[in-house]
Amino acid sequence: MAAAAAAPARSEVLSLFRSFLRTARQFSDYNICEYTRRRAADAFRENRALADAPAAAAAFAEGKKQLEVAKRQEVVYSLYAPKSKSIMEMKLQ
Amino acid sequence: MALSRRILPVLLRRVNGGGWVAPALSFSAPARALSTATAAAEPPPPASDEEESVVVKGVRISGRPLYMDMQATTPVDPRVLDAMLPFYLHRYGNPHSRTHLYGWESDAAVEEARARIAALVGADPREIFFTSGATECNNIAVKGVARFYRDRRRHVITTQTEHKCVLDSCRYLQQEGFDVTYLPVRSDGLVDLAQLEEAIRPDTALVSVMAVNNEIGVIQPLEEIGRICKEKGVPFHTDAAQALGKVPIDVNRMGIGLMSLSAHKIYGPKGVGALYLRRRPRIRVEPQMSGGGQERGIRSGTVPTPLVVGFGAACEIAAKEMDYDHRRAAALQQRLLDGIRAQVDEVVINGSMEHRYPGNLNLSFAYVEGESLLMGLKEVAVSSGSACTSASLEPSYVLRALGVEEDMAHTSIRFGIGRFTTEEEVDRAIELTVHQVKKLRDMSPLYEMAKAGIDLKSIEWSQH
Repeated sequence: MAAAAAAPARSEVLSLFRSFLRTARQFSDYNICEYTRRRAADAFRENRALADAPAAAAAFAEGKKQLEVAKRQEVVYSLYAPKSKSIMEMKLQ
Repeated sequence: MALSRRILPVLLRRVNGGGWVAPALSFSAPARALSTATAAAEPPPPASDEEESVVVKGVRISGRPLYMDMQATTPVDPRVLDAMLPFYLHRYGNPHSRTHLYGWESDAAVEEARARIAALVGADPREIFFTSGATECNNIAVKGVARFYRDRRRHVITTQTEHKCVLDSCRYLQQEGFDVTYLPVRSDGLVDLAQLEEAIRPDTALVSVMAVNNEIGVIQPLEEIGRICKEKGVPFHTDAAQALGKVPIDVNRMGIGLMSLSAHKIYGPKGVGALYLRRRPRIRVEPQMSGGGQERGIRSGTVPTPLVVGFGAACEIAAKEMDYDHRRAAALQQRLLDGIRAQVDEVVINGSMEHRYPGNLNLSFAYVEGESLLMGLKEVAVSSGSACTSASLEPSYVLRALGVEEDMAHTSIRFGIGRFTTEEEVDRAIELTVHQVKKLRDMSPLYEMAKAGIDLKSIEWSQH
């Protein structure tokens, strides 16, 4: 666990963020897709200011855990996606 | 995005021959590889709207409506679902089974959830008892306390804007010989503290005032009410179903003796709630469910582990996200209000604006008939009045208690804004509402007369 206290590299953080955005895009539910994108963006923006390494490492680990949850749920949601899409998605097309 | 959505289920069935594979790593690569190959081969999907539109009650809607009825219920947060699923799959034990792993792990999960819920309200885990929902909690609190102390206490105080289950429980107590005082509220929905203090008698068993009203979103002054009740030595019960996870609750700071909590209002599953019962000083209740004595005898029956775990997860998420969600809800509410008011006049907000939870906006549109407004808003899921009273034709008793006139009470619409509501949804709701209100007002002779300056109350309608 001592190794986990090192702050993540910038490329790692960016890669995690991109994974979040990719997973968010794949959600079949309009509201969850938008929420994931928005919340990830806000969380990464907020944590950008984290100065000390252990806090940054903890936030990064938490982010990775949340990404796993998002990926699992994206699959579950797609398995049960309703036939008719939300009104919001249809007009956007 | 649409293509990968079609590809993914097919892919899962192939890979999934024996069992479930670890999600993240195995799917990202094959999905991309396969999708490029198939993109050329598969014909474009049919452009018809037929299969996508929904016909409900004779009305064709082009897609699923946008959801703005968060006070009726909330969608389950994906993180909550993620926490619950293992308990529907392989961890299906009964938490009260003491003899094997299934029972032990189930019990551990229940206790962890209990601790999370307690942490959100500043309580001890031993003070949290799981029930089937806030309605059951309200029943236990009102009837249970009154009956336990029936020898020495014969009086209960509540307000006129409480949830139907509290009012109905009080009516039930009246039949058993208790006195009940239904305190009126001011026109902004808040309870008058002086009236409350006057109403408390030496034989008052309980004061029940809900924290956040489900219809108008008004926040009652819990700290002051708690202080008054503590001074007079009367237990204070609050129905915090709409308040949990949205406004900060501290049972000690607010002097709360009993509290009803509900999971499905904070992005948790339906069918579970929790009752907070203070230990110091101990509040005793008479149990309403007889059985094996689970939950320390307060509520018998198997504790539903998956639901309880979901409730705990929802509370943990709410604790982290409360500020973020609150800020967003406030901004979206302002956007909704400004957007509607910019295009439509004679819009009245029901309930105080200062003491309000921002995710609940109850508006009345003058000179518009309520049912026709709702019928025209089929693409937005909103409600008028509360779900509990919408079966009957009478206007909402909460709005009546505020002193709202009957015609305005009939045209009230409740917009619910939640964690997953987007700006685009709010803009669309504004657009649809304004369009419908304008259409109805164009047809309304009353609006014409009002615009011409005629005072409608002075008109003597001819009798037929």
